[in-house]
Amino acid sequence: MPSELKLHKEKHIQYIDSLDKKQSDFEYWLSEHLRLNGVYWGLTALSLLNAKDTFKREDVIKFVLSCFDDQYGGFAPFPKHDGHLLSTLSGLQILATYNSLDALTVIRREKCIKFIKGNQLPDGSFQGDRFGEVDTRFSYNALSSLSILGELSSDVVDPAVDFILKCYNFDGGFGSCPGAESHSAQVFTCLGALAIVNKLDRLSDHQIEEIGWWLCERQLPEGGLNGRPSKLPDVCYSWWVLSSLAVIKKLDWINYEKLRNFILQSQDEVKGGISDRPDNEVDVFHTVFGLAGLSLMGFDDLVPIDPAYCMPCSVTKEFKVYPY
Amino acid sequence: MHGVKRRQWNQELLEQKKLNDAKNINNYRRLTSTILGLKEKKEYSLDNLQKSKELLKINPEFNAVWNFRRDSIIALKEQLEAKFWEEELDFVMAELKIYPKVYWIWGHRVWVLNNYPGSPVSIWKRELLIVSKLLELDARNYHGWHYRRIVISSIENRTGESMDKEEFEYSSNKINNNISNFSAWHQRANMIPAMFANNEIEDKKKFIDDELKYITNAMYTDAEDQSVWIYIKWFLNSDIVSNTYTTEEYVKMIDDVKQNILIINQDDLDFSGKENAWCLKMLIVIEEISKRFGSQEECRTQEYVKKLIEIDPLRKNRYLHLRNKT
Ligand SMILES: [Zn+2]
Repeated sequence: MPSELKLHKEKHIQYIDSLDKKQSDFEYWLSEHLRLNGVYWGLTALSLLNAKDTFKREDVIKFVLSCFDDQYGGFAPFPKHDGHLLSTLSGLQILATYNSLDALTVIRREKCIKFIKGNQLPDGSFQGDRFGEVDTRFSYNALSSLSILGELSSDVVDPAVDFILKCYNFDGGFGSCPGAESHSAQVFTCLGALAIVNKLDRLSDHQIEEIGWWLCERQLPEGGLNGRPSKLPDVCYSWWVLSSLAVIKKLDWINYEKLRNFILQSQDEVKGGISDRPDNEVDVFHTVFGLAGLSLMGFDDLVPIDPAYCMPCSVTKEFKVYPY
Repeated sequence: MHGVKRRQWNQELLEQKKLNDAKNINNYRRLTSTILGLKEKKEYSLDNLQKSKELLKINPEFNAVWNFRRDSIIALKEQLEAKFWEEELDFVMAELKIYPKVYWIWGHRVWVLNNYPGSPVSIWKRELLIVSKLLELDARNYHGWHYRRIVISSIENRTGESMDKEEFEYSSNKINNNISNFSAWHQRANMIPAMFANNEIEDKKKFIDDELKYITNAMYTDAEDQSVWIYIKWFLNSDIVSNTYTTEEYVKMIDDVKQNILIINQDDLDFSGKENAWCLKMLIVIEEISKRFGSQEECRTQEYVKKLIEIDPLRKNRYLHLRNKT
């Protein structure tokens, strides 16, 4: 184990830059269904590294717009695929990061809002698309998307919040729907959503204490964080757990140094990028969430990130604060 | 990407991969462009259903293709034979066995069952056996447990009968197999309040007594495991217990648990020279409860906190917070 770990910023920038040039890899084509999400992860990672210009702005915006699903509204992850709340949020996040939400025509903007709101079900939950899968991930996608567009309203927010609160569990975590087991990523989606719509006060002090406790128990002796009890540590949980702790203002309930070491040990020092845990294959998903975790803890001079939106604070400070 | 070992590629391996990839890419892109073309033109046919299957076998995460499949099935519904639905379920199951963590596959299975002609209770009951089998392969699969709850509620909706008791027993089985299975403890913590609320327990006091024996046994079995302690923390604080017991019984129960925890902690100290962090954390919880019931015993939380900071430094700041709170 090297005694002095450092963040290989240049390597990570090169790694992200290389991703779109890997068209001779089968994996490149197999991940088309995640392309828009992938661009958001890459762009956010670059933003945190203060290297946003690595991507060509015009090209990216053009690609984002080519993903719009004119039939159902919302963004698809790739041209000719279907609109879904997951990719819709990614599309809007990219546009917002480039301060170019106005690249959406008025008609498409309206379609997009209609698509998001149209996926809310009578119990306040959201389905990802017309096929009915419900998950608090989609509640988060919807509320964050509407917030980015400055289009939150109480008829959407109030039932959405009621639903999220029903996903709170006896152990201090949140699940994907009422009755589902607590999971760090779902805790992030629930707390992030509540933070975005300014409804954290719907949680009692006792609940906040319990949530903080459950979250800090995710840190394992090796420093990494896991998603559920008795699971392995994983760099992406640096984000799901840390952002959640940040939202409830208990960020320092875990050990920073140890987590930083775990993230840095998961870097590929040769070709750049960060993996889920040391010695595994890197990907852009773990690269951005590793960097985002480091940014939240204030390490390595990274650009500050907003824990609720997972975007640079410099971008999110422009969003209208709900209630408007 | 999760759990994929980082590989060192030498020149030879790279060349080989390139060759393989070129072939795969060709086939994949051709298939993709065909299916997306058919999708755009809304060309639904049995033939095209077959083609979409080919693509999904290569990439089960291709949501737009699952969508095309569903739209095709809806359009062709009248001409699909009963056999089709069974084949569809077989296809999905084969995919799930290879990719048990792909959301879209689980989602498609739920959709197929909901759209199965009549969606009778018999297919859902069969599904319960299937998901039980899947949870034998991976007893913590998040998707599997979620799916199980969907199946249970579909059966309950069709029969009008609660399955809380069966699910409670299922959780016992799973925990008896592996005490660290928090997914099962979670299920248990949801079933008990449901059984109480729906009056499904004859002798409530006996039920609580038995549960207490069960968790006492569990904490002696694996005092290192947080699953057990998280459950106990819930149980001790639960209204179900405090409403079933008289105050006297409740206070005595809390004290019994405390004595057991002290014994376990002492055992750990004797054996390893270190106190058990979860025992200390639980003792703090128990003191909070006792205080609510007017206990006059000397408060030792500060002492526990001090020890915790030493033996569990990762969470030092939470302990400092507890110290300042009391
Ligand atoms: Zn991960």
